[in-house]
Amino acid sequence: MANAAPATGRRPLRRPPARRSSRALAGCLALVSLAALSGCSAVSETTGKPTVVIGAKEFTEQWIIGELYKQALTHAGYNVELKSNIGSTTVIDGALTSGQIDLYPEYTGVILQVLARSRTVPHSAAATFQQAKAYEETRGLTMLPPTPFQNRDAIAVKPAFAKKHGLRTISDLKKAGHVVFAEYPDNMEGALGYRDMVKAYGLHNTEVKTLNIGLQYSALDHGQVEAADVFTTDPQLARGGYTLLDDTKGYYGFQNVAPVVRKGVQEKQGPEFARTLNKVDALLTDQAVREMNRAVDTVRLAPSEVAAKFLKANDIS
Amino acid sequence: MSAAPVIPDYGSPSACVANNSTFCMDWFTAHWSNLFWPALVQHIELTVIAVVAGFVIAFLMAVLAHFQGWFAMPASALSSFLYTVPPLALFQLLVPVTGFSVLTVEIALIAYSLYLLFTTILTGLREVPEDAVRAARGMGLTRRQILFKVELPMSLPSLISGLRVTTVMTIGTVAIAAYVIDSGLGSLILKALQSPFNTQFIGAGALAVILALAADGLLVLAGRLLTPWARSRKAA
Repeated sequence: MANAAPATGRRPLRRPPARRSSRALAGCLALVSLAALSGCSAVSETTGKPTVVIGAKEFTEQWIIGELYKQALTHAGYNVELKSNIGSTTVIDGALTSGQIDLYPEYTGVILQVLARSRTVPHSAAATFQQAKAYEETRGLTMLPPTPFQNRDAIAVKPAFAKKHGLRTISDLKKAGHVVFAEYPDNMEGALGYRDMVKAYGLHNTEVKTLNIGLQYSALDHGQVEAADVFTTDPQLARGGYTLLDDTKGYYGFQNVAPVVRKGVQEKQGPEFARTLNKVDALLTDQAVREMNRAVDTVRLAPSEVAAKFLKANDIS
Repeated sequence: MSAAPVIPDYGSPSACVANNSTFCMDWFTAHWSNLFWPALVQHIELTVIAVVAGFVIAFLMAVLAHFQGWFAMPASALSSFLYTVPPLALFQLLVPVTGFSVLTVEIALIAYSLYLLFTTILTGLREVPEDAVRAARGMGLTRRQILFKVELPMSLPSLISGLRVTTVMTIGTVAIAAYVIDSGLGSLILKALQSPFNTQFIGAGALAVILALAADGLLVLAGRLLTPWARSRKAA
């Protein structure tokens, strides 16, 4: 554990006319370092179990899930600390394997693509979870059951465009002739990238425009692009103004969320610990998560407020 | 699987928030108590720990360098080297060792504070007029008494100026610490860039600027109170 202040800060000077201010500062210092030590949590110490440290990655959906886990566990009487906004998959995975955090929510497909560097994508959500779990088990980690919701890449078009050309699946895009396609700059190549996608689906008449995440919806609305790579939990999709095309070949894989937990944590915390997390995860449907993302990104509530409202509505706290 | 979840009504944003206007006072005040105030307090805590601890270390270094001339050179070299390392790089170097923790942030902040504090304290001590020290020695004061009764009080103006610059600089650097710990005003700024929201990052940024100005003003005031002779001399 980190002691935030060196003990030398206690007594700056004995001799000069002993000024109150320096005492006050030293007192303040001691208080602050205590607060830092305790993780600033005012949880009633009942269980006497060690504090569980939850991590979360650097985007809205993760901040919300981190808060959901934290609040549900706190309500169940565990001592919890949340380290939110830690960073990307590789960064937070390093924090987990080095023991700085005890668990964090991760996407099953991402574990295989980014951490295990597997070349192929499993053909079902269950197989993806099983393979991800098997991989994590080899590294001193384990995984709890996944959420019903997925946050995967998908291809969105405007409903009118889909109707006009009779589009239901991604391969149907061939019927639409020349299609202008929006893609994120960092998803051109690779296992989920644009290049392999058009190859896999045999789309030979597409033109690509790289657009940063978040800009593709207004580009669709204004007709600057006809199809776009989106995330299925984007709050913009909640409004129903877009049609998602079926990924019949399973090109984009499966991305359910499951807590990745260091081995030994559950043994220390007891069986109720996993049950609490599972209860939360079971509630996380596509619609529920999309609405929570919207509450943070559009309504501009804090992730902690959104998590609290959701848990309260579902009688978890 | 359990039943479908209840989805609560999260409300809808005000027109100002929905348009992401430059600054929405309504949202700022509504989130003052659960976002801005806690972040401001964390920011102050991180700054105070760093400046106080940095001051203690720099003070001891400066006094040692003042008594033992040979120590001034390596101490100055080390602290100026630390001062030149870019903050983000230093955070990245420390994370593998001390983790995503307050300790990581404080080590870096203290490392930055040493150079300015050490330099200003030592300069202040060295610029005390030789005559004053001689007079004190002639009156029979010991070396330690001379330090506390003559040299330190006379070097206060330089010391305060060093504290001012260091404090303002630290307040700015703490904002970058959000890359390591989810704490302080920097965290709000970083998260507001993630899904662009002007009110949050302008609000948090403005608070950091106001905090820096306020801290600077307080130290000016403290300096005036601690050196009453300086004012009477000016008035004369």
